[in-house]
Amino acid sequence: MRDLWARIRRRFGRDVLATTAVVVIALYILAGLLALAGVLAPGYSQQIGEAYAPPSAAHPLGLDVLGRSVWERVVQGSRVALIVGFFSTVIAIPLGTVLGLVAGYFRGWMDAFVVWLYSTLDAVPTILLLLALALVLPTGKGLATVCIALGVTSWVSTCRFVRGEVIRQKELDYVRAARSVGATDSRILFVHLLPNVLHLVLVQASLVFVYSIKSEVILSYLGVGVQNFPSWGVMIDDARLELVGRGVWWQFAAATAALFVLVLAFNLFNDALKDALDPKEG
Amino acid sequence: MTKPVWGALFRPLWLGILSMGILGSCTPDWGRGEPGSVYRGALIANLKTFDPAQASDSYSNQSQFQVYEALYEYKYLARPYEIQPCLAAALPEVSADGRVYIIRVRTDIEFQDDPAFPGGKGRRINAHDFVYSIKRLVDVRTQTYGWWIFDGKVAGLNDFRAASEKLPPLPDSVHPALYDREVAGLRALDDSTLRIELTRPYPYFKYILAMPYAAFVAHEVVDHYGPEFLNHPVGTGPYVLKEWRRGLRLTFERNPKYRHGFYPSEGTAEDSANGLLADSGKALPFIDRAELYIYNETQPMWLNFLRGNLDRSSIPKDNYSQAVDPERGLRGEIAEKGVTLTRMWQLDLIYMCFNMIDPVLGKHKKLRQAMSLAYDVETVLDRFYNGRGIRAQSFIPPEISGFDSSFRSPYGTYDVERARRLLAEAGFPGGKGLPAFSYLTIASTEMRQRGEHFAQNMAAIGVKVNVESCTWPEYLERMQNRKFQIVGASWMADYPDPENFMQLLYGPNKPPGENNASYQNDAYDRLFEKASVLSDGPERFALIERMKAIAAEDAPWIFVVHRQAAVLSYKRLGNLKSHAVAESPIKYYKIVGTRK
Amino acid sequence: MISFLPRRLLHALATLFGITLLIFALFHWVGGNPAIRMVGKNATVEEIARVSRQMGFDRPFWTQYLDYLGDLVRFDFGRSWETRQRVSEMILDGLGPSLSLAIPAFLLGTVVALTVALTAALYRDRWPDRTLVMLAIAGMSVSMLAFIIAAQYLFAFRAGWFPISGWEPGLRGVPFLALPVGIWIAASLGSAVRFYRAVFIEEMRKEYVLTARAKGLAWPRILTRHVLPNAMIPVLTHVVMELPMLFTGSLLLENFFGIPGLGNMSINAINASDLPVIKAMTFIGAVLYLGANILGDVLYAVVDPRVRVS
Repeated sequence: MRDLWARIRRRFGRDVLATTAVVVIALYILAGLLALAGVLAPGYSQQIGEAYAPPSAAHPLGLDVLGRSVWERVVQGSRVALIVGFFSTVIAIPLGTVLGLVAGYFRGWMDAFVVWLYSTLDAVPTILLLLALALVLPTGKGLATVCIALGVTSWVSTCRFVRGEVIRQKELDYVRAARSVGATDSRILFVHLLPNVLHLVLVQASLVFVYSIKSEVILSYLGVGVQNFPSWGVMIDDARLELVGRGVWWQFAAATAALFVLVLAFNLFNDALKDALDPKEG
Repeated sequence: MTKPVWGALFRPLWLGILSMGILGSCTPDWGRGEPGSVYRGALIANLKTFDPAQASDSYSNQSQFQVYEALYEYKYLARPYEIQPCLAAALPEVSADGRVYIIRVRTDIEFQDDPAFPGGKGRRINAHDFVYSIKRLVDVRTQTYGWWIFDGKVAGLNDFRAASEKLPPLPDSVHPALYDREVAGLRALDDSTLRIELTRPYPYFKYILAMPYAAFVAHEVVDHYGPEFLNHPVGTGPYVLKEWRRGLRLTFERNPKYRHGFYPSEGTAEDSANGLLADSGKALPFIDRAELYIYNETQPMWLNFLRGNLDRSSIPKDNYSQAVDPERGLRGEIAEKGVTLTRMWQLDLIYMCFNMIDPVLGKHKKLRQAMSLAYDVETVLDRFYNGRGIRAQSFIPPEISGFDSSFRSPYGTYDVERARRLLAEAGFPGGKGLPAFSYLTIASTEMRQRGEHFAQNMAAIGVKVNVESCTWPEYLERMQNRKFQIVGASWMADYPDPENFMQLLYGPNKPPGENNASYQNDAYDRLFEKASVLSDGPERFALIERMKAIAAEDAPWIFVVHRQAAVLSYKRLGNLKSHAVAESPIKYYKIVGTRK
Repeated sequence: MISFLPRRLLHALATLFGITLLIFALFHWVGGNPAIRMVGKNATVEEIARVSRQMGFDRPFWTQYLDYLGDLVRFDFGRSWETRQRVSEMILDGLGPSLSLAIPAFLLGTVVALTVALTAALYRDRWPDRTLVMLAIAGMSVSMLAFIIAAQYLFAFRAGWFPISGWEPGLRGVPFLALPVGIWIAASLGSAVRFYRAVFIEEMRKEYVLTARAKGLAWPRILTRHVLPNAMIPVLTHVVMELPMLFTGSLLLENFFGIPGLGNMSINAINASDLPVIKAMTFIGAVLYLGANILGDVLYAVVDPRVRVS
């Protein structure tokens, strides 16, 4: 564990790009938290000027169809993105990790079942599965449903990687040693094996996070995402028509850029993380 | 798998890039066929079916009327809208009590040729075809949306429907015995005479006989194609369906057996000035081939119109200012292309519907009135309809009899101060004590934005509204099950009679009927029962006036907008007059001059 | 050599069972009562109950599920609730347009990605590689939606180089397809380049490459004659695994460019809650995925006899 953190710290200390990425992500989180607390961009739904007012000193990112501040809506959008990213990851990662550990360790029918489960889930086209889940979940349409739907569909690759790694590691000396001194299965699984697959889990968590943010945009765009609240997907949906018809580019540019920068930062962060944890790189 | 791989990798790449560069700059070949004989129009939705029993949307109507015909059709030029005989020989002879219709059916008209007929030759139509077509519509197993137009109106027809319920589903059992069953109110006395007996004297029944649901279909064709009938339209109309590429295009060609349509010779002075009477008396149609392009989005339709690839187009909301200047005239750069602008009242009503069984909304009249006053409809008109339309004051739109431009609802203005006062009088000063309301709408960009605007307006008087979007089927289901609080709705006239609008607030029409508000006012209902069996005249208008006043005071709806459509067309498309009931009657159009 | 095949097929069959169960259960509960849709507007409760009974929607879950399996075996997906067309016919109609977009995009995309990845690998850790990798990461970070909207606006609307939307069969369709194909390639390039680059670099670390290098062979020659052929296994597997994508194409691309393919059909079906169509598309997508998986395994085994799937 401590070794893991040391490796990450060393790697990120060296790499300017990775450090920048971490700072950018931190800024987004800060903005999201401030928005959540009602400090930043509280008036996102109010009309503060003429419809489609272009960017100006008073309104740096311009106004939208109902005279609302695009800047405040972008900030509120980052709050949605982070919530979706966080909660889907929190659902998907433990699910994938535990199932992967159990399947890889016990093998037998349990393994067969888990493999069957994730093969099935993996085969069904994701977007259709997401849409169906968004319709069937009792939470109704909205933020919670998006998080749950993304969470329960995106644990597959985590599970697959963890299972593979556990199958490889359970024959290693340290596991045999633990077993020979009479450690229980759950102890071996969570005290001995888990820390040794944690590097995989960490990378997967970061991937699921990015995937969820991008999916939220598409789902909201398709009308099954976040309701009654500005999200980047909703903004892009708004912007699509006004861009071609009226040449109103600022809402499209703002939402796209906000999404781009966050995803880019995560991708860079993820690369650095992978490099830091790659045993070959040391 | 060694050396050749490298070379093979590169060649297709360069070929691909080259071909993209060369071909990418060409425009598609739109100029097929002879110029002047082809009409190209647009449909802004996927066409569903060619079965007249399923003609539940205006796109289906438009497409089906090129092929199918009914006893009556709308006059092309006459306003207000009137009907004229089509497959009937004359207007119906109505008995003195208004309940019995005798209709002469033409027997000199043939169905188009089709393999479903013996020898592949379409036979002559007769009165029995009409009886069959209506029986098929009414048969429960046809699963039509159109049953309501006959429900309870024709003697014995409801019994027929009940009998069909006991049969196993189609297509396993056609049960000709069912169709042999006599219906007292719907009989062919001989090949050319129909007798229809109504349960009450509905004066607007003649319009129902012009709806696509009442089109003539041939039983041979229905039996021959079975469930695939919906892909094989066989009618008597000016065109036959040549090709249907789903999601892309419909192609019609002139029906060589069509002989019974002639260009109208009556019209107003304005029609004559517009050159709309030049072809009076000439045989229809003028255009040999019609192509309707299907667009899921308005943007590509608009751009193809600007490039001259379509002859006619509506103007998408966000492109309106590109085409029309603030004085409502066509902008120079568009006019130079040889484009003209026509406007037409759409015979519709956009409204917000309160659910009257909701414990809060239903109980507090003043709350509903306050919300009506707090809704900034002028901005809605400007922002979402480009000023195309007027604020609605009642349920009856312009060009429908009973419309009165001087009628004002006491709550049909934008007055935030009065709204606040009423809200306080209702017991909710500044919105205190009110729950958040849900506003239900269709999941489309524009509908959601309209909802957000409504919520913004309501927030200004302290009423919290959350916008909830859903798919169209979900929307219908929730309206039927009354699972909503406020809903954005619209109604387009099925026929040009005020009854079509008045019935929307008639108590017994509560869900699953069309009275989505579940509004119930005995005084209104009694007035409706009287007005619906009267012909237009001072007596009927007086009743309608009283109904409007009741509906305005009770405010089960916020009356929002009556829309006016703006249609653009190239001057090469002649004989064009917009028709709100029978949209795109291509048989009257002609192409003058050539496409650029 | 491919003795693992029977077991692999058995696995596939089990997965297929899971897929049908998942799809059926999901739509059984999502869809509500299909009878409501069939009876149409303004139906009474009794009417709905009657149609339910007639169509067998009131029977137990498992009976209905078995019927569903039976229909699937006969390639019968029922009829669309929205258009009442046979779903199997709609799928056949949409297949051509979808493939006309997907196949060129896929082939060109793979070739471009391999070329770029080779170039990057060749200049490993020098500025061309760094630039390409940065571009790839940047490309991966752009939402597909943004790609489509921006490209359609700039190249089709503003510049007028391409038609805005539409589709025609045969060669006449090329101008319509050029832009969506280009967008598809651009949008998928980032992750593909990164994957292939990693494969090539992994290969370049191997001993035989070092030996060749020691013998004085030039890098381009080593790459084309040794690295590329050897890297074919992971590349091929990757390519095969992407194949099911060809079927649905890109839902968004088809929708924006008005291509009447399966993706467009799916979006329309979603908007209309047309469950029979969604169900069929989900099922076919899943089956293709399974097929591609098996094909991938077989290819893997054929190319590399050491491999045995456990």
